Amino acid sequence: MTLRLPRATVALVCLGVVWLGFGLLIERVWTFGNLASVASQLTVLALLAAGQMAALTVRGFDISVGATAALASTAAALGANAFGPVGFLAGPLAGLLVGALNGFLVARLKVQPIIATLGTLIGCRGLATLISDNGQVVVLTDPSAVTWLAYGRWLGFAPSVWLVLLVVLVLAVAIHGTVAGRRLVMVGSNPGAAALVGIDVAAVEAGAYRICGLFAGLAGLVMVTRAGAGLPADAGGLELQSIAAAVIGGTSLSGGVAPVIGTLLGAGFIQSLLSGLNLAGVSPFSAEIAVGAVIIAAAFVATAPALISRIRSGSTNQRTVP
Amino acid sequence: MTARLRRLPASLVVAAALFTLFALVVPRFGTPGNLENLARVAAILAIASCGQALVLVIGAIEFSFGSAVALASVVAVLVLPEAGPVAAFAAAFLTVVAISSLNGALVGYAALPPVVVTLGTLMVAHGAAATLAGGLPIDAAPSDVFRWPATGRIAGISVPVWLAAASLLVLAFLLSRSVLGRRLFLAGANPEAARLSGVRLARTRLAAYVLAGAFCGLAAIILTSRVGSGQPNLMPNLPFLTIAACAVGGIPLSGGRGTALEVLAGVAVVAMLNNATILLNYPPAVQLLLTAGVIVGAVLVQSDAVRRVFAGGRAR
Repeated sequence: MTLRLPRATVALVCLGVVWLGFGLLIERVWTFGNLASVASQLTVLALLAAGQMAALTVRGFDISVGATAALASTAAALGANAFGPVGFLAGPLAGLLVGALNGFLVARLKVQPIIATLGTLIGCRGLATLISDNGQVVVLTDPSAVTWLAYGRWLGFAPSVWLVLLVVLVLAVAIHGTVAGRRLVMVGSNPGAAALVGIDVAAVEAGAYRICGLFAGLAGLVMVTRAGAGLPADAGGLELQSIAAAVIGGTSLSGGVAPVIGTLLGAGFIQSLLSGLNLAGVSPFSAEIAVGAVIIAAAFVATAPALISRIRSGSTNQRTVP
Repeated sequence: MTARLRRLPASLVVAAALFTLFALVVPRFGTPGNLENLARVAAILAIASCGQALVLVIGAIEFSFGSAVALASVVAVLVLPEAGPVAAFAAAFLTVVAISSLNGALVGYAALPPVVVTLGTLMVAHGAAATLAGGLPIDAAPSDVFRWPATGRIAGISVPVWLAAASLLVLAFLLSRSVLGRRLFLAGANPEAARLSGVRLARTRLAAYVLAGAFCGLAAIILTSRVGSGQPNLMPNLPFLTIAACAVGGIPLSGGRGTALEVLAGVAVVAMLNNATILLNYPPAVQLLLTAGVIVGAVLVQSDAVRRVFAGGRAR
């Protein structure tokens, strides 16, 4: 009935408009250096948004991703200082553990996702403060080994950009090409039907939160490479941007859709908008207004198909999705 | 147990138990001075939570409180020199109501998801507050009238506590005695049934948000008066605290249920916990971990899954 466009279309158009608009207004936007710089800044948000998308796909919600990334960055920096390069694994591991806890609370104990992840948000901030000498940044004893990942050049881009792209592509293949991935989408689109065909719905939901936590942990690792330090008090507000990126990318808040590439483009759009406003000399405060407005606009776009079909069928049936 | 007692929210028992425990264990917790301080701090949370509860009842949520109060404080301080304290407070109140009304219109009439809408307006309001204030707090000229909502007293009891009590009574009346309250519950429990029985969903949802804004606007007045300045980062965790208080009190985020008594119990638990960890001089990290544990724990204790275990496997 409605015209079928790929879910990533909206994000792609938004991305195009931002680059076209700022490119026409400001010099130096259409340079490879700027593109590489935006791509490098994008890495953290891209990972958080991809993880958030997994949680949204199973009708969940994770507002702890920013705090989890901050905790993971602190754990990774402490681990690296204590055990050498192997210690960096403490970051993703911390993220995975937080994700597992979220999954346990939501899928097994049936705590509402907002409450469960609000609890872990506060808990992660507490834990990060606890292990980092009251929230001080944990400086790496030898940052040169990892800052190369964020500021070096490999085929034109920072190595971390390629690594993040690789991780996100792996997620895309896993979701669209494996049985586990199909289960994830199916549980999100219709949990009842999924249970009837023998899928362990709670296990799949818990898995989605573990993916979300793991990706937040990887984002924490990227934060370490960018700052050369663990940042226990950082990444606040990124949870909102990750949700916005996923929604702009075509993720439905009522679950059942997992557009990985769209989410990546959505994150790219938000980061490009922020960078563009910054280049245009707009204050970060005003840029925040723009991002907030974009989030609401994204909600309009995301709900437009349902709204149109509702108007056509003359029904005013509407469900709110908390 | 009698049926009447059984109808009391479980969270009220939790609150009473926590109070007894703290009174026995935490030094200075039970002193009149501390209890008054506790009540004054809890009052702001209680008033804002009344608003959050109304929105939760319709199955929606409100995040924009966090920066709505900040924008309100900045607006109040900017208006103050020209128009005086009363107009400043009115401006603060209307600022919050305007933001919540925008949320209500977007959630009600445009049927947008409440989470996304209110997170969006949260960012817009914070950006606006920081832009207006230039990123830094701006001081208000101190005056008795400006300080009164936070520090004044009526009959020996401080004004915020009176206002919190009034807010809870208004909420109790709205939820259990008014036609609007019935509509809110119906819209939250089963929107389709509500619509079929003649409830205008969009208008009802807008009403819930506007009233929520009114409660939060009152909280914003007290907060502004207390800090005596316009703060772009005034209480950013207010939405989380109010949601936590309501959830701890036993109001499900899925909508359709909620009472003023549950709000009171939830606020009491959250506020007492904060107060006790400060009195015990725990480091901030431990305070955060304890808060996280209590929020999740209190919700868990009231969850069906855990109740079933205690009820010996009986299905509810």
